[in-house]
Order: sequence, then structure tokens, then C-alpha cells
Amino acid sequence: MILPNRLLVLRLEDKATMFGVSAIRIRQVIAVLMLMLFASFASKANQIATNQITTNQLTTSQSPHATPTPAKSASTRRVTSDEIEPQTVRFHAWGGSAQVNGYLQWVSEQVKKEYNINLQHVKLADTSDAVSRVLAEKAAGNHSEGSVDLIWINGENFAAMKQHGLLEPEWVSSIENFALTNPQQNAAMVTDFGEATLGMEAPWGKASMVFYYRQSHLEALSLKAPTTIEALLTFAQKAPGRFTYPIPNDYLGITFLKYAALTLNKEYLDDFYSPVSPEALARVLLALWQYLDKLHPLMWRKGQTMLRQASQLQRLMGSGELSLAFSFTAAEIPSAVERFDLPLDIRTYAMHDGSLANVHFIGLTFNAASKNAAKTVVNFLLSPEAQAQKQKLTVWGDDTVLDMTQLNQAQRQLFIQDTPHASALDKTLSTPLLAEPHASWTDALRDAWFKRYGARY
Amino acid sequence: MANNHHRLLLDKITINRHDKALLSINASVEKGHILSVMGASGSGKSTLLHAISGQLASPFTLLGNIVIDGKTMNNVPAYRRKVGYMFQDALLFDHMTVEGNIAFGLPPKKYTTKSARERAILGMLEAVDLSGLQKRAVSSLSGGQQARVSLLRTLASEPKVVLLDEPFSKLDTALREHIRTWTFATLKEQGVAALLVTHDADDAAAAKGDIIELTPC
Amino acid sequence: MFTRLTVLARWILLVVLVVPVVAGLIGVVFPALGYFPVLGATTFSFDVFKQLNSVDGLGRMVWLSLFTGLGATLLSIAGAFFLLAASYQTKAFRYLQGLLSPLLALPHAATAIALLFVISPSGIIARLFTASGEGVMVSAGMSKWSFAFPYDELGLSVLFALTLKELPFVVLMAMSVMSQPQLSHKFKSYLAIGASCGYTPIASFMKLVLPLVYRQIRLPLLAVVVFATSNVEIPLILGPNNPSTLSVAVFYWFNHIDLSLRLLGSAAAILQVGVSCLALLTFIFVEKIVSKVASSQRIQGTRTFFDFFIITKAAGIVGLYVVLCGLVVYSVIMHSVAQYWVFPALYPSGLTLLHWQTVLGGMLPPIVNTLLLGVAVSVSSVIIVLLALESELLKPTKSTMTLVLSLALFLPLLVPGVAFLYGLVWLQQIVLASATWFHTFIAHLVYVLPYVFMALAVAYRKFDNRYAMVAQSLGKTPWQVFTHVKLPLLTSPILVAWALGASISFSQYLPTLLASGGTLPTITTEAVASASGNSSRVTAVYLIIQALLPLVAFIIAWWAPTLLVNRKRGENGVLSSVSKESEVLNGK
Repeated sequence: MILPNRLLVLRLEDKATMFGVSAIRIRQVIAVLMLMLFASFASKANQIATNQITTNQLTTSQSPHATPTPAKSASTRRVTSDEIEPQTVRFHAWGGSAQVNGYLQWVSEQVKKEYNINLQHVKLADTSDAVSRVLAEKAAGNHSEGSVDLIWINGENFAAMKQHGLLEPEWVSSIENFALTNPQQNAAMVTDFGEATLGMEAPWGKASMVFYYRQSHLEALSLKAPTTIEALLTFAQKAPGRFTYPIPNDYLGITFLKYAALTLNKEYLDDFYSPVSPEALARVLLALWQYLDKLHPLMWRKGQTMLRQASQLQRLMGSGELSLAFSFTAAEIPSAVERFDLPLDIRTYAMHDGSLANVHFIGLTFNAASKNAAKTVVNFLLSPEAQAQKQKLTVWGDDTVLDMTQLNQAQRQLFIQDTPHASALDKTLSTPLLAEPHASWTDALRDAWFKRYGARY
Repeated sequence: MANNHHRLLLDKITINRHDKALLSINASVEKGHILSVMGASGSGKSTLLHAISGQLASPFTLLGNIVIDGKTMNNVPAYRRKVGYMFQDALLFDHMTVEGNIAFGLPPKKYTTKSARERAILGMLEAVDLSGLQKRAVSSLSGGQQARVSLLRTLASEPKVVLLDEPFSKLDTALREHIRTWTFATLKEQGVAALLVTHDADDAAAAKGDIIELTPC
Repeated sequence: MFTRLTVLARWILLVVLVVPVVAGLIGVVFPALGYFPVLGATTFSFDVFKQLNSVDGLGRMVWLSLFTGLGATLLSIAGAFFLLAASYQTKAFRYLQGLLSPLLALPHAATAIALLFVISPSGIIARLFTASGEGVMVSAGMSKWSFAFPYDELGLSVLFALTLKELPFVVLMAMSVMSQPQLSHKFKSYLAIGASCGYTPIASFMKLVLPLVYRQIRLPLLAVVVFATSNVEIPLILGPNNPSTLSVAVFYWFNHIDLSLRLLGSAAAILQVGVSCLALLTFIFVEKIVSKVASSQRIQGTRTFFDFFIITKAAGIVGLYVVLCGLVVYSVIMHSVAQYWVFPALYPSGLTLLHWQTVLGGMLPPIVNTLLLGVAVSVSSVIIVLLALESELLKPTKSTMTLVLSLALFLPLLVPGVAFLYGLVWLQQIVLASATWFHTFIAHLVYVLPYVFMALAVAYRKFDNRYAMVAQSLGKTPWQVFTHVKLPLLTSPILVAWALGASISFSQYLPTLLASGGTLPTITTEAVASASGNSSRVTAVYLIIQALLPLVAFIIAWWAPTLLVNRKRGENGVLSSVSKESEVLNGK
């Protein structure tokens, strides 16, 4: 609610009666305003019209039983910009990172140039907003004119969309560049947190968990960065208030819980890779609660307030309220330093007792308004040039999903990185990777956490 | 009705406020005559004028007929009655010049060309010693000049009846008598019927017409 | 014809205000009662409410909403009255307008974000109070003295931010009432009488003027109560989350990945309506007590009224605003161009335009959307409202209709947005799912119309209708009177109402996000998204753009009339505005 400014009204009225205004000018102003109004309606009408056109094209070009070959032809055929009407693809993706946004801007320029597609990045504060949107459309019987074409998801959002039938099945294999991820050899490309993707989503990038700290803070505290989950607790005891993690609704929050659960329960590690059972859960929670009960009072704001979003974690590192934090995208850290969002004394490292790793995906909705154009975009996103661009530290630094053995020499050359950054993860040190537990663990751990530590909306 | 209509006939008029009678009047005014209606404040003088001009708003209601030249006006909208209305303020439109204000009153059908209008306005201004002021902003006029332009604007619309709602009460004494004499003379000369409401006995006397005293019902 | 058009406008006004709100409420009542076919819920029951009742900390959420909302309303009203009492009929009165007006145009989300820059433990105030020798560590707030701001469990930060934002509204509402010519004349004489009886100016104001002003601003104050108890942005950005306010919980449940929580969200939305009603009742109760005390106090004959207390508090409030505004402007502008800026430095290590480039690079679509929506919504609001106001004169309504209309005006402000917007979106999905622009337009209109109406009604009803009567007596039709006399004479208030409407449209977060499904990014949705992002510098840029847009609208509203007049002045004396004259002369 913005509140009215009547005082301005009054002041101006005085002027109006003092001077008086030319009638013709007023009419001009009104005419201009009316024109603008009509213009806005017209553009609305245009948009509706284009929507209809695209859906018509879809219904005519795609019979329900046809094999999805059209996508391939769409992706291989280069069309000049005046050959067909430009199609609009709406890509719903979290918009909280300047690097990701910048990269997608580059992508949309490329696909405009190459395929005459208008890629619109719909910046989400929370990916579930878009999931809700698609669900609402399904509820309202909108099966062909959806407002979400592509959506950046993994883990639970994927599980939810899969469960409610909100994604187009079996389209990924028709994407030419998908073969470059070598899915036969690489199960991570077709498994999302233990759930089979069933061709509903294409892999886009890879991430593993890293920690980062403020060197000047640690020097002032005379502490070393903790390298195991146990050392983290010791660190918190010596430097209370300098660490926190987001609530488990957030992907980094649940990631931290999984990391703690896995590393504190090395003897039950196998339990995590099959669907969760009450017994298994009870077994692992024991050590986890014991640990968190001790950690929480030593966290930022005594654990009373916890962050809702991962990005706030980086923010607090930037402002200096925290001395130690973690991320799922190692590359975003030097890149944030480059953009001045994190100070120069940031150092990144991986925990010695294991780093959680996963793949993130792009889903195509069941009611996407422009499916063919959307597939063309995905094919571009999986191209060596787009993946290499994404992996550049100065751009985003997200690890590629392409299998280097599937690329030719020239394509491999694209991925050679520039000189290492002081704040970047030293990739020469090898760290044990921890695979994501089965997706059912996510809900189980989160629900248990909320039950124990409160709702925290 | 007979041929020799009254210019303005207030035929057994009663004005109610909610359902209570506010005033009753039965009168007529001929061309070139001025009827003065007097009464204390609150007696409904202005409401009577609203009724005649066709701008009576709730909670007032009108009984009886308002007749101009034999035509009953009760259901004729204000802008078709040819009843001019003058208030104690000149109420010139600030966003128009002197010329614009008067032109606003001229009937478009009679003066179809711009030059015809300009000529007519010039003539009117000359007649009242205001020539040369056509392009002036109205806010730059003196009180007396504004009063004169206001009457010219009213007369430009060629009304059959002019209503005057205490038109001189805001003028200072020196100016007042001058403007009053001039206004009444002009009205008579134009042959319109005028109805003046006032609480000033001097105004009523100067009008040299019938005087009706309104008493609250 | 024209009269019919105005009556039509009146009905459009009524329909646009009432239908979306009522329809939206229906859209949450069904899921709340367990009916939501898409999730397989097809039987009506109170199970969802039972489930809601068993939610941990529900009582505390309700309490937080009530406490922060009512507390902020009462504090802002008291503060506003202190300011008015201390400054009325002094020079400070005018400065007050200048100081507080820009704050009105700033969206709530922007206010909350701006406060973070200033008052958080690493904010500029903490920096000012940290000697550079103390090293690089920000206060962790673990042991000694710690900041309550932000995220404190009691909700004091939320209360503080809401108060800061609502106080200017109350002051300016009261000022607009007080400057109505009839009233201001009356008040002046009241004050003179008070003074002649030996009452201090403050006592005269509090005892003679305030009671009359209060009556006139009561409805807007009730809207403040509802708004403050149901606002999402401020508690979302500054509030505690263990638990949060009820409104944030509603927001959270509706956006949760677990779609079945939507039922819970709907039930909580209904509860939110109840909470806002309870807040209203409490407010009215407090009102009653205060008026009882005040009326007996009034006739005791004491010639002073806590004069010293009020003056010092008023000065304190002004000081607080000046200091906060100054610090916000400094730290936000600095952040938007800052390179590294490590605690506790008072200024960054260097300046860069990188953050501006980052934002402006992708800025065109949001700016265009914001402007198109803002202009379309505000222009149509102004047209509808002008015609509806004209219909009041041409075809006066029965008193019941007048009452219905004035209630309808406050309906969107009295029903919490989080309660009806989700239901509205659900219905919009059923009707014309792809008409995104239209839905967003309507959702904005619901919020813009009431304010445009309030702003224009004052001016319109104050308009000396004798001008219209004179014009009619000169033989002009109602349409000619409207276009040739009223619109020109009312240009300034019309433009200001337009600017106000545009700035309200610019600031809408929830309605834009929900009605467009995020497909129409605007400056405000981008700004809130960036507030949850990782760059405080980018947020600062958005904040500045967000603050500038309404400012531009108001500058247009201020300068356009003066500019037109100056032009006219320039030609004046010789041949003033020929074009317009010729138009009149041509018999239009």
C-alpha cells in the first residue's frame, strides 16, 4: 500500500486557481494519456494474439502419438529472422544471482540471433512460485497455453512437478546435444536426487558443496577454518555467532542438513541411498540432533533467527556479519568477489569429510505454449559453447554437464579456464564427493527438523 | 395560453426541502423589468434561483411551474433555458482571456466565423469602455472590470431571463453604485427580464421594479 | 448521453472495487473448507481449520500480527498528532510536508530494505559507532549489548518500520483535511478563540481542532490498521521467523513446494481476515476509551496539554526522520556504486558503475512493463473516478448508494491483500487464463482506484460549482461544462491524482506477482527478488530506481501545469494562448 498524497493535491490546487491553465494544453495532455492507454491495451491484445498463434501452431504440428522428432529438426534448422514470426519462450528461473541473470541475458541474445526466439527470463524469488503457477493452470484446465515454458529445477521441485504431472515426459532424448552428456555412462544425468527423470528434464549444470571464510576474521579470531563437521562445532564454540545455515526449505539449508546427517552417520551411509524408513530415520537423527542442539545456540543470532534463503548467507558474508559460510556453486564465490559483493579476503575450500554434489536440470512444462522453441533453447543451453560460457568464472562458473570424452578437440578447448582466482576453490586438491541421498530423505529430514526446531516461516 | 405571455412567470411555486416547504412564491416579470426578491439569509433566495435556472439539486424539490415566454421550463435542462445567472463573484474562467470568456457565451449558430465573433466582442467591450482588454488574462482585471465582463458574458449568450444573486455585495461602496446603475440600465436596454435577490434594500430600490419579501414558511 | 456515461462510470467503479475482492475471498473460502479439486480435495469439512489450529506457534503468529499492526498504528497516530500539534500554524508545518511526502511514494518493501542498510549490525549506524581500531569484526550480538534490529522475536523491528511508514500517511491525511478551505478557516478561528481563553496553541489544537480532524480521517486510519496487521513485505524482510507474523505464514504456505499446504494457506488467509477484524475491534475500543477520557479532560479547563512532552517528542520524531533519511540516502547511493566496503569503514574502497550496468542491462522490459501498467492503470482510474464524481453532481445518488460506494472504496483496503489475492488468481485462471495484462491491470486497479478517488474527491467536491452553473446558464451542455470548464480548472489535482495512481501501481508487489504469474516483471517485483538475492549492491540500485519512478511521476504532475501556465504567461499581454482562444472562437 502506497499512501495518497493529498497535501500535494491541495498545494497544486492553489496554483491552479492562481494561474489557470490553457484548455488546449489540457486536451493535449489527455489525448496523449489516452493514446498511451490504448497503446497498452493494444500491446495486450497483441500478446494474446501471439499466444493464440503459437498454440495453434503447436496443436497442428504435434499429434499426441507422434515421436518428438520435430524438436530435432527445429534445433538443427537455422532460420533467418524474417522467415517466421519470432516465438517467445518463457524460462522461469531463480533470479537472485546477478551472474545467473547475466548469463541468461547472454543466452537470450544468442537464441534471438541464431533462432529468432525471444527468450524471456522470468526471475523468480522462489522456484515454487512457478510450480504453483503451473499447478493453478492445470487446475483451471489450461492445458495448452501455459505461462511457464521452461523451469529451472531439481530435487523436490522436480519431485513435486513429476508427482502432479506438470512436466512434459520423454522429450529430453530428442535434444541433439543431450547425447554429449553421455547419459548411458553417467547416471547422474538422468537421476535427480534418486528420482528417475523419465526424460522430463534435461541436465544443465553440476554443483558440489564448498565452504568459504573471511581470512581477516579468522586471523582476528586466531582460528583455522574447520575441515570436518566436528571441527565446525569447535569453531562455533570458539567464535560464537559467526556461522549459520538457512532453514531447510532452502536448498542450501537442506544441503547442510544432509551433509551433517551423512558425515555424522558414516556407519549408516547405505541407508541414505534407498527410500527412507522410520527406523533408518530414527537411527540417523540421533547423532544429528545431538549435534544441532549444540550448534544452534552458537550460531548467528543464537539460532533464533535463521535465514530463509541461501543468497542471504552470501549477503551476510559480504557485510561481515558472518565469518564462515557455504555454497553449492564454488564458482559463484570468486565471481561474487569480482563483483564486489564479497570482500577480497574470502577463501574457498572443500570439507575433508566429504562434499555433497548434485546436478540441476531444466524442465519443460506439460502445457508450455511454445514447446518446439523451448526445446531449441534447451539444445542451445547444452551446446559446448553455451556450457563453456557458463563455466567461465567471470560469467557464472557453473560446472558443465557435458562429458569431455564426447567432445572434439576444438570443443574441449572452449573449457580451458583462465588463471585461478585467490578466492576460488583450488581444484587441484581432490575431495571426496558425497552423492545426494534418495529424494525421500529430503522431506523426512526437513519435516523432522521443523518438528524439532519450530516452524520458522 | 394567451398571446401576451409574461417573459418569466413563477406560477404558484413552492420549494420543499426534504418534504418541508421552504418557500412559496407567485410572481411574473416582463421584458426590461427587474423583480427584486428580498429575504433574510436562509430564506431560500438562492434556492429559488437554482430552481429557475434548472439546477435544483436534492434535497430540494419544486412544485408549481416555471414558465418563460409561455413555455413551461420545469423539465428543460439548464443549458436550454436561456436563463443567465450572475453571482456575487464574477466567476470568470481563469483559463481563458477576457475575449475567451465572452466568446464562451456567444451562441455558436449566430456567429459562425471567427471574425464575426471578434467583431461582436469588440463591440460589446467598447460599449462598456473596456476596449483593448480582449487579450488580457481575467485575473489581471480590477473588480469593477471583472463585474462588467461577467455581465457581458451573460448577455453574450442572449438570455431571456437573467438571475442576479446578490451581484453587488462584494463590491466596495464607491464602485457598487456605479456598477449597479450600469447593470440595471444595460439589462433594461437589452430587454431581458431580471430577477434580483438581495438583502440590501438599496439594491432593491435601485432596481425600480416590484419587490417581494420572502418570509420563511 | 454524457450523464448516462457518468452513471456507467459509477457502476464500473463499484464493480471493479467489489467484484475482485469478493470473488477473491470466495476463492480462498472454498479451499479453506477443504474443496480444491486439483489436489483431490472435494469434500467440504473443517479439517483444514483443525489442521491450522494444530500448527505450532499459531497463537504467537496471531499475536505478532496484532501486536506489530496495532502497535504501529497507534504509535504512528500518536506521533502524527504530536507533529501536527507542535507544528500547526508554524513555519514547520510546510517543511513537514516536504519532509514526509517523498516517504509516501516509497514502496513498503523499499522502506524495509532501506532500513536494513542503515540499522543492521553491519549497517552505517553500527559503523559510525565502531571505532576503526576495534578491527574488522561485526558485532555478533552474542554476549554484550546486541542489536534488536532486524529479525527480533518480539517483532519490534517490524513495528518500528511500519510506524515509520504509516506516520507520514496519517500526517498527510490530516493535513489534507485541515487545508480544506472551509475547515482551515474554521480551525484558525478555533485556535484564536482558544488563545483568547488562555489555552496554549498545543492545547487548543489537541482540544479543539484534533477531534474534528480525527472524525474526517477515521476511515483511512481503519485501513491502516488492516494494512499494518496483514502486510507481507515488511515482516518478510525484517521480521522474526520463529515464528513469523500470520501474513508471512499465509504467504509461505501459498508458495510452498508442498502444494497441499495451499489448503492450509487458504484457512490461514481466512484467519487473517479474522485477525484484522479483531485488530479493528480493538482499535475501536481504544478509540472509545480515548474519546471518553478526552471529552472529560477537555472540559476540565486546564490551559496546557503536555506541551513540553509533545514538543520534545515531535522534535525527536523529526530528528529521527531527518537522520534516518540522510543515512538511508547516503548508504543506499554509496552501496549502488561501491567496490569493496569492509566493516567498519564508513565509505567504500572505490567507486564503480558495475552494479548499475548489471541492473540496467536487463532493465528495459521491467521498466516498460512498470510504465505501461502504471500509465494504463492510473489514466483509467482518473477517467473512471472523474466521471463517477461528475455523476454525483449530474445524477445524485440515494444515501444508501452513497454509503455503499464509500464502503466499496475502502473494501480493497479493509480486506487483507494476502486473503483475497490468491483466490482472485485462482479465479482468473478459470476465466481468460492467458489475459495476463488484463488480470494484472485489474489487480492494480483494485488498489489504485481508492486512492485516486480519495485524492480527486477532495478537489472535486471543493470545486466552486457556481462556475459550472454559470457555464450551463450560458447554454453549455454538461459535457461542454465538463471538458471546457471543469477539467481545465482542475488540471493540477487531476495530474497529482494521476501521479499518485501511477506511483501506487509502480509499488505493487503481491498483486503484480500473483496476477501475472511472474510473467510481467516490474521494477518492484525485480527489487523484491533482488532483496532475496546475493548482492546488496544490486538491491541498492533497484531501490534507487524504485524511489525515482514515483518521483518522476510527481515531478511531471507538479511541473506540467506550471509549465503550461508559464508558456501562457510568456505570450500574455500581447496575444495570450492564441490556439485555445481560436478554439473557443470557432464555436466549440
